[in-house]
Amino acid sequence: MRLRVRFSKTGKIRFIGHRDVARVAERAVRRVGLPVAYSEGFSPRMRMSFGLALPTGYESDGEYVELPLIDGAMLEANARDGVGSDVAAAGPAIVCRSGTHVPCGDEPDLDAPSYCTLAAALSEALPVGMEVSCAVLTDGSGQSLQAAVRTCGWRFDIVGLAEAAATKAVADLLAAGTVVTERVHKGETVSSDVRPSVELLQVVGSSNRGAELSAVLSATPRVVRPSELVPALAPEHDMGIARRTHQWTCGAAGRAEPAVPSRCAQRQKETLSG
Amino acid sequence: MQRPRVDSNLTSWLLAYPDTYEIGLPNQGLQILYELLNERPDATAERAYAPWIDLEAEMRAHRLPLFSVDTHRAAGEFDVIAFNLSAELVFTNVLNCIDLAGVPVRSAQRSDADPLIGAGGHCAFNPEPLADFVDFFVVGDGEEVVGEITDVVGAWKRSGKRAGTREGLLRDLAGIEGTYVPSMYEVSYDGAQLVEVTPRYPDVPPLVAKRTVADLADWPYPRRQLVPVTEVVHDRLSVEVFRGCTRGCRFCQAGMITRPVRERPAAQVREMVSAGLERSGYDEVSLMSLSTADYSGIAELVRDTVTAGAGGGAATDPSRISVSLPSLRVDAFTVDVAAQVSRARRTGLTFAPEAGSWRLRQIINKLITEEDLYSAVRSAYSQGWHRMKLYFLTGLPSEMDPDTEAIAHLAQSCARIGQEYTKRASVTVSLGGFVPKPHTPFQWFGQNPPDELARKVRLVRSALGRNRRVQLKWHDPAASTAEGIASRGDRRVGAAIEYVWRKGGTFQEWSERFDLTLWEEAMAACGLDLDWYVHRHRGEHEMLPWDHIGAGLHRDFLWQDWQDALAGHGLPDCRWTPCYDCGACTEYGIEHIVASPVAPNGGSQGTGQDLATGHVVPVELRPRQLAGAGAPAGGGA
Repeated sequence: MRLRVRFSKTGKIRFIGHRDVARVAERAVRRVGLPVAYSEGFSPRMRMSFGLALPTGYESDGEYVELPLIDGAMLEANARDGVGSDVAAAGPAIVCRSGTHVPCGDEPDLDAPSYCTLAAALSEALPVGMEVSCAVLTDGSGQSLQAAVRTCGWRFDIVGLAEAAATKAVADLLAAGTVVTERVHKGETVSSDVRPSVELLQVVGSSNRGAELSAVLSATPRVVRPSELVPALAPEHDMGIARRTHQWTCGAAGRAEPAVPSRCAQRQKETLSG
Repeated sequence: MQRPRVDSNLTSWLLAYPDTYEIGLPNQGLQILYELLNERPDATAERAYAPWIDLEAEMRAHRLPLFSVDTHRAAGEFDVIAFNLSAELVFTNVLNCIDLAGVPVRSAQRSDADPLIGAGGHCAFNPEPLADFVDFFVVGDGEEVVGEITDVVGAWKRSGKRAGTREGLLRDLAGIEGTYVPSMYEVSYDGAQLVEVTPRYPDVPPLVAKRTVADLADWPYPRRQLVPVTEVVHDRLSVEVFRGCTRGCRFCQAGMITRPVRERPAAQVREMVSAGLERSGYDEVSLMSLSTADYSGIAELVRDTVTAGAGGGAATDPSRISVSLPSLRVDAFTVDVAAQVSRARRTGLTFAPEAGSWRLRQIINKLITEEDLYSAVRSAYSQGWHRMKLYFLTGLPSEMDPDTEAIAHLAQSCARIGQEYTKRASVTVSLGGFVPKPHTPFQWFGQNPPDELARKVRLVRSALGRNRRVQLKWHDPAASTAEGIASRGDRRVGAAIEYVWRKGGTFQEWSERFDLTLWEEAMAACGLDLDWYVHRHRGEHEMLPWDHIGAGLHRDFLWQDWQDALAGHGLPDCRWTPCYDCGACTEYGIEHIVASPVAPNGGSQGTGQDLATGHVVPVELRPRQLAGAGAPAGGGA
């Protein structure tokens, strides 16, 4: 079984890079004592795989890490005496060093009671600004997240740009056949047409810095970042803060999320902070 | 996450490390004080690190002062800014940080409202080069004295820091044992020669004796080691297993100034390791000391730590917890220890023979034989290591070319042993230029000039020939010269340090930033003779700039040990053999705390191992009573 964990990265912690996030996540797993599998060989490492790397400095509500669990990590149904009948009823449970934790279940009924304690336990073990919104079990079949993610949802603002000006700029960009912008890749300036990557772009309001936009940008063949749109939208302005809201996969019914944040994590967090 | 309290009623310390965050964060001394101060109801402590040059430029352009990483509080708002001095080449960064804090760099120009500038750490044992810039130094272990200073500063703060009271405060601080306030002393010279350092008031002590905590068991710190979210050096849990070292290596300042040996009880070490790993999420723990393989029962400790990481499984199970052992003595590193360490991910392995020939190792009292080294190396290769690092010094007293060339011979032999076990065997030789340090028997020795050090590096390089199994790395000989200026400099050298700083010479520890010509220019501009300070041998009766700072060691013990060194006489390790009265214990009424009465592995140095086997010159271990006869009581420093 695998655990698929969705987490956020907001505030000051957005300045740490992808490799640092991996190290932080690894330490959090060990702090909780989650029974994650290690690689074989001379230098065993914790096995973990992430979704698409987030540019350093960007915030996110939709980061993912997948953690394969060791055999025997799940609590057998007949061994649940003493865990509590509520937990037992809630479905599978994972035996961690810090206690037995329940992952998020499929809870179509938003008013149903939830017993997920894993998301909260992981959030507690992560630095301020990184919160786990969902931790679900998957059977581990299918594509890796990196391959499965097709588009990303973004929110970003443009410093000092008025909403009306932003609205016109967005309309112009969407009407254009090609939008060539430059970016620096491996020390060289590369120009490319980003227009085909823009699936959705709209002004959603204003932040305290300037116009706020929402976008869905494709992640294949390469991840296009919101910052690449800003020179085309408002060449005189800088981007403020960008936040990834979603990593979308392509399901049978169209766009889908690898894991949907459940309300249980928030509920647990409230309990803990209270 | 730990967040210090911000409350203007609390006596506030900004603990500053004068190098980058990546280098400074793991520093254990700073973390211990950080925790102890924050545990006090009347104090708060935050941390700051030197901003790299790009950030410094931005800060100066935007008129932003140095600030704490904890709550981004401006450095100038703290009652005390205290620097950790772990190396001499950070001195210009200390000045830069004081300036960035918005505080006058010279103590004499500070007003009552300015923060007090403090400093501690090993370089505080010769505080004179920074005497004009630092208000007070702490000499020795900081655990107890930091509280006493807080009491005095706190009382002054509560009295309102009234105009004209700073002098009185400094005088009070000078009364705290182990605290040196340079402005309370007059220094006089006769020409170039230092003749006297005299207290300005009768209540100011003529000799500032270092502080020593008697028992490490009373100080299980840090309990809550800081876990950085970005990568730093030594990114692992650290647990100090003992403090002090009496192996008696004559070049080693740390081993001289931190005596006696105080082992942490094994049960406490185990508790700190398991609690620390669980809290931090680290998968690697470093068992820290000046020579960790000397810890009583080290093999059992490593075995238990690694076994706990294997989830309490069989002793042969692979472990998720790696153990790293810094500062390994080759005569104490056994197959047993190697086997235990290698059950987890193999950490880097560094051995420090320090000198290439047995003759020279006798001079420096690093009494490990070639066989000791080879058997340690064999232990490591046989347990699966492919590469190791050998650390050597060059420019040691009486070093001759055959001694230097012997470094290549040792390294090649180690690589050859490795090839018996693996085709990938390789050895890295790390070669440092020797800088004589205060409070050591070599404090009288004239340092090798940079061209001589460079010649010796070339000697090793050519003796190695084209050996792809041995890689040579060396420390810039020019940097050793600058380090030499600050290492044994007196109060006058401060002007040169200020000059280098004003010319932009920050981060001199970093090779890309280091520039010897700047130091030469500074010495000339200040009318100071670089040769006189660095390359000159000192005489027995010359007053040394740190003679008023007491490390516990009798001055005539050090002089006798210097004479013994030149005569090639070894000195045993007093933790397992009778006391030779260096002064470190007797002056303080304290003793070694060592669980095992014998050296690990029956190691050398007066513990029965036949040191003469296979060598040209047998070492002579003389009873110390003869060597130090006639030492007057209280003759320390």
